[in-house]
Amino acid sequence: MKKFFAILVCKILRFVGKIIGRGSSLPGQAALKICPDILSRIQLPEYIIAVTGSNGKTSTVEMIAHILTQNGKTVAWNKEGSNQIEGVTTLVLGNSTMGGKVKKDILLIESDERFARYTFKYIKPTHYVITNLYRDQLTRNGHPEWVFDALKDSIYPETKLILNADDPLVSLFGKDRDNVVWFGADKLSSDTKELQSVYNDGAYCPSCKSPMVYTTHHYNHIGHYACTSCGYKRHDTQYTITSVDLPGGEMTIDGKYKISLALRSLYNIYNITAAFTAASITGIDGEKIAKDMSDYVMKNGRVITFEIGKRQGTLLTSKHENSISYDQSIRIACADKNGCDVMFIVDAVSRKYFTSDVSWLWDIDFEMLKSENVHEIILSGTYYNDLAVRFEYTDIPKEKIKIIPEIEKAYEHLNSGREEYIYVITCFSDKGKFLALL
Amino acid sequence: MKLLHLYYDIMNLYGDYANISAVERLFKLLGTDVSTDRKTFKDNVTLSDYDFIYIGSGTEKNRNAVMKDFRRFSDDIKSCIENNKVILMTGNSFEMLGKSVTDSSGRTEDALGIFSFTTTEQNKTRQTGDAIFTMEGTDKKLVGFINKCSCIESIDTPLFSVEMGMGNTDEDKHEGIRKNNFFGTHLTGPILIKNPYFLCYIASLISGKEITASEKTMAHEIAGYNVTLSELTKRIGN
Repeated sequence: MKKFFAILVCKILRFVGKIIGRGSSLPGQAALKICPDILSRIQLPEYIIAVTGSNGKTSTVEMIAHILTQNGKTVAWNKEGSNQIEGVTTLVLGNSTMGGKVKKDILLIESDERFARYTFKYIKPTHYVITNLYRDQLTRNGHPEWVFDALKDSIYPETKLILNADDPLVSLFGKDRDNVVWFGADKLSSDTKELQSVYNDGAYCPSCKSPMVYTTHHYNHIGHYACTSCGYKRHDTQYTITSVDLPGGEMTIDGKYKISLALRSLYNIYNITAAFTAASITGIDGEKIAKDMSDYVMKNGRVITFEIGKRQGTLLTSKHENSISYDQSIRIACADKNGCDVMFIVDAVSRKYFTSDVSWLWDIDFEMLKSENVHEIILSGTYYNDLAVRFEYTDIPKEKIKIIPEIEKAYEHLNSGREEYIYVITCFSDKGKFLALL
Repeated sequence: MKLLHLYYDIMNLYGDYANISAVERLFKLLGTDVSTDRKTFKDNVTLSDYDFIYIGSGTEKNRNAVMKDFRRFSDDIKSCIENNKVILMTGNSFEMLGKSVTDSSGRTEDALGIFSFTTTEQNKTRQTGDAIFTMEGTDKKLVGFINKCSCIESIDTPLFSVEMGMGNTDEDKHEGIRKNNFFGTHLTGPILIKNPYFLCYIASLISGKEITASEKTMAHEIAGYNVTLSELTKRIGN
C-alpha cells in the first residue's frame, strides 16, 4: 500500500511540477519520505545503464538516449538532469506502472559522482559507464581520489563496467576485474609526447604511487601510461578512437565508423565514444550508431555562436572549478589560425552554492594563450582581479590583456572596431550574463 | 635567496604550486636574487641550505606515500624549526609533523613526531568551506578555503583564530599550528596569492627586512583580496 501511495504521489507531483515548471527532485523526495525503500520494490528493466564522471555526463546520457530511441528501444532517462537520488526516484517512479513495473526497455541514469552510492544501493546498474575523473569542484568534491572512493561503493561485482582506458584513475576501477568493456584512443595526430598541463595528475601510479611514464598524451594526463613499478598500465581497448581530424570535424571509431564533430575538442570525443560503446552493447550495429550519432551531434552540438556588430564569435561553455574544461576551451581558441580574441568571465564561482574560492584558476594552463593566433585577451566579472593576477604569472605580454570588470562594458568593447573572431570562455553559471547582452 | 618546493609533483592540489611562485615573484620585484628548487621522492636535499621551504596539500594516499619518504628529513626539519627557518606547509602536509595519523580504516601510522598533535581521518564527509581567519601579529585577516577530511587534536600553539570556517577540530575555533617561523594550515591552494599581506609577512620573515604590500606592485592582488573578503564577510551570519 505504501508503495502504491508513493508511486501515486510521485506521479501527481511530477505532473504538477511539469505544468508549473518546477524541478524534478521534489516528487522523488516525497515518495522516499512515504516509502524509503521504494526503489528496491520496483520491477526494473533488463538494461540499467548508469553514467557518471566529472565531465560530460549529461551529453553522454543524451547521446545514448538518442541512439537507443532511434533504434526502436524505449528509454527512461533523467532528461531534466536531476542526478541525485531524489531525481532518480522521480525518474523511475514516473516511468512505472501503478503496480511498480518500469514500462521501458532501458533505464538510463545519469548519476552524480558523490551520490551514486546511495542511488545504486537499490538500483544496481547492469552497465556502468565512467567517463573521467578530473579535478572538479573541489569546493564540494574534495579531490579525484576522494570521488573514486565514493564511487567504488556504488560498483557491484555483477555490474559490467564501461571504462575510459586512457584515464589512469578511472581505469583503476577495472583492475583485476573481468567484466569490463574498455574504450579509449589510439595514438592520435594531435597527441603530444610531453604533458601539456600546469599540473600532472598522472605523475604517480594510482595503484601503488610509484612514478608513471607516458608514451603519449592525448590531453592533460589522459593518454597511454604505465607504472614503472607494479605493472599497472593502460588497458587495451575494445572500442577505439582510431583517428581524429579536429579541423575537419570528424572522428573514426575502430577504423571504420566515421562520426561528425560539432565541438572541436578532444574531450568531447570521449563522451561520443562512451555513448558509442554503451549503444553497441545493447546490440545496435556500429554503422547505424555512427550515423545516428553524426545526425545528433550536428543538430545538438553544444556550440553557441553569436554576432556582435560585424564580428562573429563562439561561446565555449566551460566549467568553473574544473581546469581541464578550461584547458580544452583555450586549446580550441589557440588552434584558430585565422586569429582571434578571447574573453574570460568569472563572475560567480558557482551557481548552485556559494564559494569565493579561485584556486582552480591556478590549475588552468593560460600560458597556451601566448599563441600568435590569440590577439587580445579580455578579463571580466567580479573575480577579474584574480584573473588579472593569474595572467601576471604567465609570459603573455601585458599589452595583449584588457581588464574590463563589468561584463556589459566588456561586451561594448567587443563591439568597438576590432575584426577578429571572438571566443568567450566561461561557465554555464555565468554565460547567461553575456548571452543576455546579445 | 633560495626557495625549496618539496614534493612539488605530488603535493600540489588546486594550484598550491603558486605559493612558491608568489614568494619568488615578490623577491624578483624587489630586486633580490632568488631561485627555486623543486624536489621530490628520493632527491638529494639539504633543508638547511634554503631560506624558505614549502610543501603543499595532496590526496590522503599521496600524503601517506610522501610521509614514508619524508621521514628521512625528521631531524633536519626539527632543527630547521628550532633555528627559525621559515617553513610553510599547507593542507594535509603539515599533519606529517604530528605524532600520528589514523586513516579512515582505523589504522594508525606514526608520523614524524615533531609536534604532539594527532590526526584522525574519516571518509564519510569531505569537510570543505570558505574561511576567514585572523592571526596574531598582523591586523589583516586571511581568506581562503579548507578542503580536508581530518580532525587534528592537541595543538596548543595554533596559527589562526577562526572567524568563518573550520578549525582544527569541529569545536575548535583555532586553526593550524605555529612554532617559531613554522606555519602549518589546512588552507588549500595558493594562499599566498590570495593573501598579499600574509605573503609580505612571510617574505619579511624570510628576508629579515620589512616588506609591505604596495598598491603599485600588487594592485590586483590587494583588490582581489578585498573582493573575496567582502564576498565572504557578507556570508557571515547567513
